[in-house]
Amino acid sequence: MSVIEIRGLSKKFGDLSVLRGVNFSVEEGERIVIIGGSGCGKSVFLRCIELLETPDAGNIFIDGQEITAPDCDIDKIRQSMGMVYQRFNLFAHLNVMDNLCLAPVTLLKMPRADAEKKAMELLVQVGLVAKADAYPQVLSGGQQQRIAICRTLMMNPKVILFDEPTSALDPTMVGEVLAVIRMLAKKNLTMIIVTHEMNFAREVATKILFFADGGIYEQGTPAEIFDNPKREKTVAFIQREKYFHYEITERHFDLMEMQNKIALFAEKYGLSNKYTYRVQLCCEEIIYEMLDNACAGDEISMVIDITYAEAVKQTEFKVLCGGKNYNPLANEKFDEEDLGAVILRNVTKDFSHSYEGGVNKISFKL
Amino acid sequence: MELVYKIFIKDGAWLTILNGLWATVEISALSLLFGTIIGAALCSMRVGKIKPLEIFARVYISIIRGSPVLMLLMLLFYGVFARSGISPIAVAVITFSMHTAAHVAELLRSSLMGIDTGQVEAARTLGFSRWQAFKLVALPQIVRIAKPVYQSTVINLIQWTSVVGYVTITDLTRVINNTASRTMQPMITIIGGMLIYLALSYAVHKIFHFGDKK
Repeated sequence: MSVIEIRGLSKKFGDLSVLRGVNFSVEEGERIVIIGGSGCGKSVFLRCIELLETPDAGNIFIDGQEITAPDCDIDKIRQSMGMVYQRFNLFAHLNVMDNLCLAPVTLLKMPRADAEKKAMELLVQVGLVAKADAYPQVLSGGQQQRIAICRTLMMNPKVILFDEPTSALDPTMVGEVLAVIRMLAKKNLTMIIVTHEMNFAREVATKILFFADGGIYEQGTPAEIFDNPKREKTVAFIQREKYFHYEITERHFDLMEMQNKIALFAEKYGLSNKYTYRVQLCCEEIIYEMLDNACAGDEISMVIDITYAEAVKQTEFKVLCGGKNYNPLANEKFDEEDLGAVILRNVTKDFSHSYEGGVNKISFKL
Repeated sequence: MELVYKIFIKDGAWLTILNGLWATVEISALSLLFGTIIGAALCSMRVGKIKPLEIFARVYISIIRGSPVLMLLMLLFYGVFARSGISPIAVAVITFSMHTAAHVAELLRSSLMGIDTGQVEAARTLGFSRWQAFKLVALPQIVRIAKPVYQSTVINLIQWTSVVGYVTITDLTRVINNTASRTMQPMITIIGGMLIYLALSYAVHKIFHFGDKK
């Protein structure tokens, strides 16, 4: 029997459909890592499993019990599931020991002494024994998150859900929290983790889900998803592709503005000055090549799309330009008059040109 | 020393002062009780989803908090209840209940806004019921935020009741005033009156911090 089984899960917020008919099941000992862009529904998916969001349609079964059934005792089922939040959510009015003991003592009727003993064992494992009497406010984010993980472990959950456990942390503290999760992974605890830490995902997961378009867009082993993604959006996400888009509608367009926007785009993704200059140069040359040779009159319709793949550090240009059929690199012989074509030929690769329906389609890479 | 005895104790003067003090305490205590209950109701209207009630609460709170309580007292005493034959003390209790309610409503609302929904959610996912999560996680934190503000509301209330002399009630302030005129010793009498108010405030403080760990 699956630990978690989800059938046809849908969730809407107003008109925004976040999840559309998601089917999925988690077996014991599996470690599922969910990745995807922001707003792809991965957190909502997790919150639905805990019934923190009420699904609009679909059924969710935890250990064979349907939590979406109207008569289910969700409080009882939640005792066997843990959830770790982005913002830790420790109880601010209780010290660390009381944070850990509150649930098992109240809900599982565990004697206080046993609970404290168990809490100390967990604190030893996460290296925070010294903080047993501290209040959450005085702990660092990384320490709070480790305590929050211990708090869920106190209930001996069958499965733990992690909702971006390191996203609210200082970069220096990410490691200590990931180390604790890795330790749990070694114990074959069933986990679902939403994260942006790709290296961690690859290392810890038994299965990766890539969320997009309101559901599981692609799934597979870490190797399949990270080294050999099949579908378009997965590839874009894994290679961390960034887009730049610019339209030109008149002959006397604002070149400075465009160059400035490219510079800002480049700066945002940490491109070197030299590389940025080349991108700008390619844009400028291709635009003037087309303006001078393909276009007539002052009304221009030209679109430039630049895609920068951060993971492989490659830039792809796509230019659409209405007008006469003109391929700037058609002229094979070296022509000093046409400096633009020379530059393009020398710095770009995989240049291609096609012409259909009055539109030149050009693409090349840098 | 003899003077103090003469002013505050002699010929049943102590009894008169005690009666005045009792009027002050009675009005304050009843107003606090009703004011807190009405204030909680007002607060739930104010944060609730029913639009007309929300607007009512909003308008009520801004009028009461925006005008002197003495005006309200006179309005009720000489206007609304002028011919109804209700005792002045009852009118004072109604006035100060209305007044306290507005302040309590705002104080509750700001405390409610201070609740961290994330902590409540964390409690729910550990398996606590809605009520347990409120009782064990939200409430202790609300109380912690609200307590000092509530304490000063109580002390302010006691001091504001000193205006009830305007509507013929012989409260502590009125008694002190009368005694000062009778004995022609305003300095000592009024300082004595202030000390009694101070003692009241101190008692309130002690009640609020009863059982605090130090």
